[in-house]
Amino acid sequence: MANINTKEYSPESPNMKSRMTWLWSEYSVIIAFVIIYIAASVMNPRFLDINNQLNILMQVSIIGIIALGMTVVMLSGGIDLSVGSVLALAGVVSVLALNASGSILVGVFTALLVGSFAGFLNGLMVAKGRIASFIATLGMMAGARSIALYIAEGGSVSGEVSGFTAIANSNLWIFDVPVIIFFVMAILIYVLMHKTRFGRYVYALGSNEKAAMLSAIRIDRIKIGVYTLIGTLVGIAAVIETSRLNSISSSSSGAQYELDAIAAVIIGGTRMTGGRGKIIGTIFGILILGILNNMMNLMNVSPHLQGFVKGLIIIIAVVFQKRE
Amino acid sequence: MASHPFVAMHNIEKSFNGVPVLKKVTLEVEQGEIHALLGENGAGKSTLMNILGGVHQPDNGEIFVKGEKISMANPHVSQAQGISFIHQELNMVGDLKVYENMFLGSEIRSKIGFLNVEEMCRQTREILAELGVYINPKEYVRNLATSYKQLIEISKALLHKSQLIIMDEPTTSLAEHEVSRLFELMRNLKKSGVSIIYISHKLKEIQEVCDRYTVLRDGQLVKTDVMQNENLEMITKLMVGKAISQERYVHEHSFGELALEVVGLTSTGLFKDINFTVQKGQIVGFTGLAGDGRTELFESLFGYRKKYAGTVKVKGQVVKITHPRKALQAGLGYVPKDRKENAIIKDLSVIHNMSLSSMGNFERLGFIQDKKEQQKFNAYKKLLNIKVHNPRITIDKLSGGNQQKVIIAKWLEAETDILIFDNPTQGIDVGAKQEIYQQIIALAKLGKAIIILSSEAPEVMRICHNIHVMYHGEITAHFTGDEASEEEIMHYATGAKREGEKIG
Repeated sequence: MANINTKEYSPESPNMKSRMTWLWSEYSVIIAFVIIYIAASVMNPRFLDINNQLNILMQVSIIGIIALGMTVVMLSGGIDLSVGSVLALAGVVSVLALNASGSILVGVFTALLVGSFAGFLNGLMVAKGRIASFIATLGMMAGARSIALYIAEGGSVSGEVSGFTAIANSNLWIFDVPVIIFFVMAILIYVLMHKTRFGRYVYALGSNEKAAMLSAIRIDRIKIGVYTLIGTLVGIAAVIETSRLNSISSSSSGAQYELDAIAAVIIGGTRMTGGRGKIIGTIFGILILGILNNMMNLMNVSPHLQGFVKGLIIIIAVVFQKRE
Repeated sequence: MASHPFVAMHNIEKSFNGVPVLKKVTLEVEQGEIHALLGENGAGKSTLMNILGGVHQPDNGEIFVKGEKISMANPHVSQAQGISFIHQELNMVGDLKVYENMFLGSEIRSKIGFLNVEEMCRQTREILAELGVYINPKEYVRNLATSYKQLIEISKALLHKSQLIIMDEPTTSLAEHEVSRLFELMRNLKKSGVSIIYISHKLKEIQEVCDRYTVLRDGQLVKTDVMQNENLEMITKLMVGKAISQERYVHEHSFGELALEVVGLTSTGLFKDINFTVQKGQIVGFTGLAGDGRTELFESLFGYRKKYAGTVKVKGQVVKITHPRKALQAGLGYVPKDRKENAIIKDLSVIHNMSLSSMGNFERLGFIQDKKEQQKFNAYKKLLNIKVHNPRITIDKLSGGNQQKVIIAKWLEAETDILIFDNPTQGIDVGAKQEIYQQIIALAKLGKAIIILSSEAPEVMRICHNIHVMYHGEITAHFTGDEASEEEIMHYATGAKREGEKIG
């Protein structure tokens, strides 16, 4: 009885149980990934086919790039609902710029610019206007989609410059270019979050905004930076999306991308309120979503039921992670 | 006395984390009396009342209500015994109407389960009328003045047929005429047989309304007696006590140049016309009671609050501080109070908390050098005697004292010339307190200008060269550290006495 002090945590303690809990809390998403991967290979031999595997990577690359940005936003304690709409807007505007100029470079830059600018506006609203991120980006979601529809008169726009489709449809060695872009971005964001002060500040801001400010961090700038970053990533995703079919639809492109991206981040173990989470987790989160989609297609599950399965997995993932 | 007190608490003992907060305290409250509970901050008043209210459980001791032994297992038991606790911060829902607040949690319903609004309004009106107040029961609480909210809290207590009302500093937010109305009300309640336990720092008020008093000091009962004819000086002495070691840590040494000069700093509703200077090597203390505005003053000075007027000079140069970053650049560091909310980032590791305000020191080509951070941390670990095995664990795993040392290390690393400490020893055990004091004094000797805010007068007396006492947003007195006495400070802090300047 009456042991008062030394409740200090020591990770060196050779306690099997505490070790297992630690492993589970830190890497539960990887464990879940391995289980789902094995289950998928057992259930359908076609799953392990190398082309199928590469196909999964290709399918998740666009949402994956957006989910990287979403991880950063959610680590800062915010959320961005506008990614799907901004993707459509950036796609439409960039195709128009591409056709008008005839230069692929101009097209790509336009997409990045539109994406970053929309993100910057989100950041301004959140940081300077002190609007809750949910509300600010909800407004941007409606607004960006509407402008995209207006510009494209509700339909699709197609590229008229040859070579533009090569961006998304060529490959290096066995990998499709979008997959490579996704991995390069993942490495860049990882370095940004763990090796630079920007990343450190994002974690601090998401964990305790007041303490971060009293530590002399310019939290307004960090917030604007975070939303601009996801905007830029959405711009990159827009280029890939447009280039894949050489066209973009103002009404349906990017629809519900925000939900898939948020789902990947949540499955990856990032805390909704910010301050805690990992880029690696999000990568495995998006892979889990990709495998599920792929499996359901291989097994001929009705597309109308796929959303149900996805929803179930998200909820199960979060319930298991609630072991804090 | 030995008759039948309404409530009797016998030999109550309570410790938090092994630190005793109450040591065999006995309190008896008769029916229909107003009983003052006195003591300095941290004397154990709130803990005692929380035990009576069922919020905390005593480690030892017994509670009797009307002679019957009761175990106050939770707040509901306490309420069922007719005890109501009116907290310092009012528990009102501003977006609900008066009657809705009155009946919150015990709404009157009609037979089919709908709310019986008319009946609730009628009862509300009745009770308020008893108190001599006429408010529309359907008014929203947010539109009412604070004093009315206070009255509604009291009405709520009456509605629940409370026989004992605990009031924790009810007058801090009231104007003078509202205070006199509250007192009248208290006297009426007394006549109708309700007992009141009245907690306040304002001795004058206590003398006016209370029948008896109990003084606590350091968790111990000092005295219980009848209020009549007792003089204020005597009670102040009881509260402060003689036993506290008054040994001063700080030794006089020569000060350097002027580091900080503040002229006419004013922010409406928070503080007014603040003037003071701090020299290099000097330790200046600010003390006062809750609501004196000292934290707001220094949050403004540090750029966390922006709406203030006045001049701030750092080393003779006028600076405009609109953000903590600018404060840092001007050479100010701030160790805030309420460490958990304001200072530590609980998801970051110990090392990362240390380096947070001065990332530039650890970067090469824009990338953070982990090794450099680690080395720097090891240096501070030795310097400040931070006890941690693995500095990569998150900071919330450390004890309060060690967390505070990490925060101090953070500001040492930022290399500011002026350091502000707000309640630096809050929630820290005695041993670590001494260490923090020694560190602060060592820093002053190194030539840093130091400002200490503390609600504990003995603390500033022990480590400060100069002391400013604040009351309601104004500096009411200046002392030098060796001439200050705790009683004097209390007089100025409670507003019992006030003077423009005490020393030249």
